[in-house]
Parts: sequence; C-alpha cells; structure tokens
Amino acid sequence: MNNSTDVVSEKLAEILTEYLKTNWANSPSSNRTVTATTNMVTELQLDSFQVMEFMLEVEDHYDVAIDLDSLSNIQSITDLAGVVITAHQD
Amino acid sequence: MSLLDKFIGAKQLKSGLENAGKDPTNVVFDSINSATEGVVDGRVTILAGTNNYLGLTFNPDCVAAGVSALKSDGTGTTGSRMANGSYATHGALEAELADFFQCDQAMVFSTGYAANLGVLSALLGKGDAVLLDSDAHASLYDGCRMSEADVFRFKHNDMQSLEKRLTRLGDRASRCLIVIEGMYSVLGDCAPLAEVVALKERFGAHLLVDEAHSLGVFGPRGCGVAEEQGVLDKVDFIVGTFSKSLGAMGGFCASQHDVLGLFRYVSRPFMFTASPSPSVIATTREALRQLRTRPELKETLWSNARQLYTGLQDLGFELGPQLSPVIAVRCQDRESALFNWNQLLQAGVYVNMMLPPATPGGACFLRCSIGAAHTAEQISTIIEKFAEL
Repeated sequence: MNNSTDVVSEKLAEILTEYLKTNWANSPSSNRTVTATTNMVTELQLDSFQVMEFMLEVEDHYDVAIDLDSLSNIQSITDLAGVVITAHQD
Repeated sequence: MSLLDKFIGAKQLKSGLENAGKDPTNVVFDSINSATEGVVDGRVTILAGTNNYLGLTFNPDCVAAGVSALKSDGTGTTGSRMANGSYATHGALEAELADFFQCDQAMVFSTGYAANLGVLSALLGKGDAVLLDSDAHASLYDGCRMSEADVFRFKHNDMQSLEKRLTRLGDRASRCLIVIEGMYSVLGDCAPLAEVVALKERFGAHLLVDEAHSLGVFGPRGCGVAEEQGVLDKVDFIVGTFSKSLGAMGGFCASQHDVLGLFRYVSRPFMFTASPSPSVIATTREALRQLRTRPELKETLWSNARQLYTGLQDLGFELGPQLSPVIAVRCQDRESALFNWNQLLQAGVYVNMMLPPATPGGACFLRCSIGAAHTAEQISTIIEKFAEL
C-alpha cells in the first residue's frame, strides 16, 4: 500500500464515487463527483449509517480494521485517508 | 451555536412527519380492546405492528397472575435489587429461565434495552474487541459503545465478512465477542447461526445472540433461532426481552458461564435501575409457562404469518427475504411510505413505519408483525387494505 495521504485520498474518492452510484442510487448525492477534499457530511449529506456502510467497503479494500470510535471525527475524504493509514500501520 | 440548537434536525423531522399526516412515532391508542385490536381516533384498528407474537397480553391466566402479585407484593419494588433487595419471584423467574435455556444461570433486567447495555458493558472492557452485525439493534450498538472495547462491524449475515474481520484481529480473536440477533427485527430474517458458531469456535471467540424477536417463535421448545439451528449449547450469552412473545416488560441474559453471576456486582444498568415490579414478574412467569406448555401457540403464529406473507406476496409487494412473523413491505421512497402508512391507519390497520437510518440499506418499509391471536378474518382484512394502497 502506498501510504501517501494524497494517494489514499484519491483512491477513496474513486471508491466512494462508485459506491454512491451502486448502493445509494436514490440519494441526491449518487451522481456527485467526489474528490479528496469533499466533505462527506456537509457536501454529500451522508448520514451516520451511510458512512458506516461505506466504511465496510473501505476496510475490505485495504484489509484493515477500523473501529466505530475512529469514525466520529471523520468529515472529509482526507480525514478518512488518515484513519486508513493509521489502521494499516497498527 | 447554542446548547439547544442541536434539536433543529429533530424539529424538522417532527414537522416532516406531521405534515405527511399522523406522526408514526407518536400514535396514541384511545383504548386497547384485545391483543389484536385497539382504538385510534375513535376508529377500531387491527394491531399488526406490536410484536405480540404469542398474543398473551390479555391471556386470562397472565392477567390473573399479575393481579394476584399486585395484591400480595404491591405495585413496585421502589429501587434496585442491590439497594432494596430481591423479591423471591425475581429469583424464581431467573431459575425458570435458566432451566428453559438449559443454562447454569440467568439474570433478569428491567428492560430488554437494559439487558443489552448491562451485559455488554459488563462483559467487555479495554483491549477487547466486538464484531457486530451491521443490522444489529440500537441497544446492541449502545451496549458495545458503553464499554471501552473496540467495536467493528461486519456485513449483515455475511460469513465472509465476519471471517475476514476475525482474521484481521489475529491473536485478539480470543478476546472478541461476536454480537448478532437470532431474528432481525426490521426484515424478519434470521442469522446463519450454525455458521457463526463454526467461525467463533475456529477463532476461539465468544458469541452473544439477542433472541428478542425469536423467543417463542423459533426452535422446537421456543428458545429461539439458536435452538432452531441446533446450536443453543454453543452460544455463550443469550439475551432477550419479556416485552414481545411474553407480553410483559423486562429483559434477561442466560449463560453457561459462571461470570454471569458476577455481573450483579459490575453491571451498572443492573445495579442502578429499579428492579421489575412484582406484577410484571408474575405475568412474565405465567407467559413463559404457557410458551413451554402450549406448542399450539407457535403453530398458530406460523400459520398466521404464512397467510399474511403469501397474501402480500401475491399482491406483488416486495417483502423481506424469508417467511417469518415479521413481514416488511418495501416502499419506493420516504414519501410513498408515509402516505401508505397513513392510508393503512385511516383504514383501520396499524403497522410500523420504518425509515432510515434505522433500516437495512437505507430503505423504507411498512413493517407488520403478526401474532397467534390474530384471526384469519383480521389477516384477510390487513391484506385487503394493502391491496387498496
């Protein structure tokens, strides 16, 4: 895994874009283009459940374990990238 | 932002629900006529969303047991068992539950919610790990988060997802508790418990199963899904509630592990809550006796569930994945769900409105729960009213 925050953020944005289209087709955010700086809560208006569901995909993609407490402060894709990198180092 | 500004979202939610008609979270029954019928706004209404699976809430023997206990032991215990002591009937119910589940011990809590908080917060500590099914009830989430354990979710009923997460835990798997439900409350689907047990044994983990909605519904003796799938003795902790099949209020945990007896000294939701009142314990004991001695209740329940499930299926509704007494009808969107829920209520049928985020996949459902006390005629009426939507 390339641990650069930029690289991980870019990949996460790609995964989330696809995930929104596939799993939340009825959501107003389903066709939004996600970038590394996109705020998942304020811009995409994802609720806590949606963020947790997306996290299951992220865990499996990177083969890491992310506990629920780590999600409480995540707003942007960059925040999430930080959590993934930390989980990978643990 | 002030202290009270956080309620802006709740206020908007309340307004949105009220604008669509009646608020589904705040239905008031003028009276309750029986286990299956109430009155709303002066209209006789079939109760098809009250989880009264065995239909025992008006059973004459249960009512008589409650009245007798009210007269002999009074209206309440006025405090916790730690401070005020236990009534003999608390212990008697615990012994009966242990016998029923063929466990060494059982423990009674004041509600099902308190049981999950009480068990999980006592059992789990710093350094422990929880693997929680993603569709688990809020009380299981809250209990896990009340502990200091690391909480990880796995995809609902997905054994590959569970296995991956157990693998990732490495040596910590032996300090892991897998937390699932027997039958899930929104869609009425069951956990593949035999497979979960195989994984927990392979990795040396422990398993807690919440049988809140499956007690009295599944299993040859009505113990739940674990008994149905032949793994009752492999479950480390069984939790459940008295408020559904047993028609009362309260919760319990049963276990083969001696540590359950020590929860009384460390479980804050047990220690700092008033204990169940004598009448509630009495009706619960009588309902448990009936669950054990009247297998025809379960047979009628399943016959009724089949009638409603096939009736709605024949109408072309998209239902939950398997036949069970919980029958969830998927709606296209939030607006149609609210509209149809109001239509049903005005037509004299009460069901549950299930909206995200408390629903699988963020979908909207009209959730029916059927019971042994429903008549074939009532179920036909429910189907007719759905057909008119």
